Amino acid sequence: MFLIFALLTLTGAAALVFQRNLVVAGLCLVLSFMGVAGLFLLLANPVAAALQVIVYSGAIVVLLLFVIMLLNEHQEEPAVRARPLQRWISVLVILALGAGVLKLVAGSALLRGLDRGALPGASAAALPTAMTLGSLGDALFKDHLVAFEAAGLLMLAAMVGAISLVKRDL
Amino acid sequence: MTTAESILSGGLQGYILVALLLLLLGLAAVLCRRSILVQFMGVELMLNAANVALLAFARFRGGDVQGTVFYLFIIAVAACEAAVGLALVVGLFRHRQSTDTDRADALKL
Repeated sequence: MFLIFALLTLTGAAALVFQRNLVVAGLCLVLSFMGVAGLFLLLANPVAAALQVIVYSGAIVVLLLFVIMLLNEHQEEPAVRARPLQRWISVLVILALGAGVLKLVAGSALLRGLDRGALPGASAAALPTAMTLGSLGDALFKDHLVAFEAAGLLMLAAMVGAISLVKRDL
Repeated sequence: MTTAESILSGGLQGYILVALLLLLLGLAAVLCRRSILVQFMGVELMLNAANVALLAFARFRGGDVQGTVFYLFIIAVAACEAAVGLALVVGLFRHRQSTDTDRADALKL
């Protein structure tokens, strides 16, 4: 199951990078987000998976596709001039970063130790139960009430800002 | 259990590896593509990579609820960022009639 969702996520992301048509790229993004939601399910976190589907695959991608269709920019425009140097430097940076962090992840004793603690055979007591909406709501409104209100205020500010940016004559 | 086995069977290292590859693909979309909309999608992918790593650590450190609370705040801010970012893209298109970042390399027309 883990491999299926991981491949779904990474296939969607890779298709996004190589896709020419912007609408299809947006749909590849949905595929990737769905794979991430599946990964959250496997992490015993159905709340986060539901939020991922609703907020990312729902709201954000719909907004993005709406803007793509509004601007009528379905294809990437032809390049003003080729920039081979910048392209090769960016590919090199990505590969170097990937190789470096891959080496760190594979060689990390801390990650391996955490892994062993959560395996079913090793210690059954350490295995957590699935996240529930009730416990999330308890933590949210008991420990993080101020941050919750601040997030609401931030959303209001973002809404007003987005409208004032787009509106032609306010 | 070796590293390869842990990755293939969905251990912590597997999730971290997926998050890392997702981050790199998002970075590739931002750096190698010219359309600002694809670059925006790349930013969203990188944000998702961070979320995968966060929730994987939360789960493998005992399933603490605080990780999910933090994830909730992250996606609240991400939704705000998406709205404002797309408004900026629309504003840019009004000025330049283009979503190509190479064509928008001057501060003033």
